[in-house]
Formats: sequence, C-alpha cells, structure tokens
Amino acid sequence: MSVPVSQMWTVATYVLGQRLRGRKRYPLVLMLEPLFRCNLACAGCGKIQYPGHVLRKHLSVEQCLAAVEECGAPMVSIPGGEPLMYPEIGRLVTELVARRKYVYLCTNAILLKEKLEAGWFTPSKYLSFSVHMDGLKPEHDEAVCRDGVFDQAIEGIKEALRRGFRVTTNTTLFDNASPIRMQMFFDEMMDLGVEGMMLSPGYSYSKAPDQEHFLRRQKTNELFSKMLENPKKRWKFNQSPLFLQFLMGKQEFECTPWGNPTYNLFGWQRPCYLLQEGYAATFKELMETTRWEEYGRKSGNDKCQACMVHCGHEPTAVNHTFTSWKGFRDTVAATVTGKL
Amino acid sequence: MEEKSLEGWAPDIHDAVTLAEVVDRAFDYRGDVTVLLDDGRELIGYLFNRNPDAAEPFVQMFEREASGASSVPYARIRAIRFTGKDTAAGNSYAAWLRSKEAAKAASSPPGA
Repeated sequence: MSVPVSQMWTVATYVLGQRLRGRKRYPLVLMLEPLFRCNLACAGCGKIQYPGHVLRKHLSVEQCLAAVEECGAPMVSIPGGEPLMYPEIGRLVTELVARRKYVYLCTNAILLKEKLEAGWFTPSKYLSFSVHMDGLKPEHDEAVCRDGVFDQAIEGIKEALRRGFRVTTNTTLFDNASPIRMQMFFDEMMDLGVEGMMLSPGYSYSKAPDQEHFLRRQKTNELFSKMLENPKKRWKFNQSPLFLQFLMGKQEFECTPWGNPTYNLFGWQRPCYLLQEGYAATFKELMETTRWEEYGRKSGNDKCQACMVHCGHEPTAVNHTFTSWKGFRDTVAATVTGKL
Repeated sequence: MEEKSLEGWAPDIHDAVTLAEVVDRAFDYRGDVTVLLDDGRELIGYLFNRNPDAAEPFVQMFEREASGASSVPYARIRAIRFTGKDTAAGNSYAAWLRSKEAAKAASSPPGA
C-alpha cells in the first residue's frame, strides 16, 4: 500500500471514532461532483449525458464546502465531469486543504499541465491528482475514444511530479482487459514515479454507450487474480489491499452504499455514486430516508448483483480493517509482505 | 442492447399510463421535457428529481431559461412531453470503433 501514514491515521481514528459513537452508517469519502461537463466522452461513462444547459451549470465553491461540512467525511474525491474545467477548482481545493481534507482530484489530465503552469495548485500532503489511466496507450486511448490522450496524461503526470505533487492513477477495467498488458501498465506507472494506483472494475451505467464490455463477477475475479497473483514489490496501490483481495475472490464483502456519498448539481444522490434513483436535499435526509436495505448483493436488487466497484466495496474493506482483528491482520500481512 | 429512446414521446395520462409512471420515465430521460401545468403554462427543462413519497409528491427541474431549480407538485402536472434531444441515445462507442476501423483501412497499403 502507498497511502501515507498521516492519511491512514486520519482514516483509522475517524472510523474508530464513528464506531465509538455508535454510528452504524457513516461516510468515508465524499464524491463531490462540481460539474458534469467533460472534455472527453468515454464509452464507459454514464456521467455526462445531459442537455447543454445542464452541462453549463456548476456548483459554487460555497455549495461544495457546505456539502463537505455537512457530510463530515475525512476524504473528498472530486470527479465529474472533468474537475479541471471547473473555473473555481483552484479555490475549492485550497479551501478543502485548509480544512485538512484529503482530496483526490480525479482528472483525465488533458488540462493538468496547463493548470499547473498557471499556478492553480500548491503541493500538499492533502492533495493528490488521481489521473484516469485505463491501461497502456492503445487501451487508454480506445477507452476514452480519442487518440493522443494517453500522451497528454503522461505529460501532465510528469509535470505534477516534477512540481512535487502527489499523483496517483485510477483505472477502470473492462472485460477486454489483458492481465499481461495491465502488468506492463503497472510497471510503466511505477517507472513514472506515481505514488500509487487505484483499480476498479467498471459498472454498467444504463446511460453509457458501451454496454457490452462491463465485467461480471466471476470474470472480475479471474482477471484480478491473474493480474495480481504475484504482484511485484514495486507495484504500489493507493487503496485497501482487502478490496483488491475482494476483486480477486479472496474476500467476500457486501456493499456499503453510504460509504462514498455523492453530491452534485441535483443534490445528494440516492443510493450511491453509480445508481441515480433520486436526490435528497440534505445529507441527513439522504442517510435517514434512503431505503438502504434495497441495495447491495444480499438485497437481491438486480442492479447490484454484478457490481464490485470501489465506491461501494472499498468502504466495507476499510471498515473491516479497522473493526475486526482478522481484517486488521490481513491488511497488515498484505502491507508487509506485498502479497495479496 | 440499447433501449429505444423516448424522444418525441407525448403520452396521454390516463388509467393505463399514470402520471407517476410518466414522471418516472421523465426522471430517467436524459433530455429536456415540457411539463404542462394546470394553469396552461409550459415549463421546458431537465427534470432531475422526483419524490412520490413526499406528503405532497413533487418533481424538480432545471428550466432551460432559468438559473436555479424549480419544484412542481404532481397535482399541478397535466402532461409531460419528451421534447428535448435524448443525450444518452446513440452509439458513440460504435461510432468510435467504426472510425478506428476506417482509419486502419485507410492507412493499410492497397491489397493488404
């Protein structure tokens, strides 16, 4: 694992604090979407299909900060849309860092070099650029439906690293992924000097154009087992090793849909980052009025049966680490030995 | 398989197609709709939320010509027309594959 100790400590104390207070449900990462606009139209993305007047709207920094305060999660992930197209992203990040929130700015990095050169950001242990990379150059450019994006992202990553920023990558895997090619990709990212990589299988968004290539559960287990069965010591993953074991079929986790709550132009999204079944006006309303028992694999909900995505299952893995001896032992063992 | 788009749909609301069903379809629709109200006004915009369980069920919209969101009770809605372009319809992945194939074919030497 490559998560800095201070971040692990913050998460550990937060989770234990929530447990001590007897809170059954609490958020871990706020998914804050200030806008839906993007400079790509990836085949697997169901986030950007809206009329032009909706795409031109965005949240104010004040709305974002109010959501962060209301939610209280120690980490804030800023996806979208493309956050670097949000005109106030620099101010938003500055405010979040001042509040000691660990920020993952999820970007395709097309604009990263330009924004860094313009001085929009300052390096901080609280800020990590999480660059969308779906594999080596041919695979990535195909996934984002545009040639040349891989090279632009690499350029952005190099510039961010040169300036002393934390940089991680986030990779969504589909059923056409090759384990060997992915291992080559891990090597390439480590050669670049990124802090760590985040992996997740894709989710079949009903609005995404490409419906044929999303992974189903067994295929997910097979792919991740082949890819990670003998992980190189130098591969660093910026996520829970238990979540990776879950993807390999070595752990059985149920979804925690409230773990990564989502806030965007429409409000607090029910029930999770992936499904859009309605919106609540406040975080409290989201937590208290969503019928959580209707989601997750055990619920029998069809939409949840094949899902193994990070936003629902990584919070379960993290919770398992800090609330059970077995979870803690497995996490320590994986961290120390590098074996998954 | 891609679902058939509802673009252009203008359902009459009656026993067989209830208002709640049409609202649900409009909520799921990724284009603008036109909401006809009981006073004859028409609201054109994106219907992004609905709450049938509220004491007074309502929908929420971003109207095309307004900056903020508006809320409309179900009781005031007479009809909903799917008038805007369905932004989720189409086949951009297929189009991307077609363009890749075309580019490959164009770069291949003749007879290869």
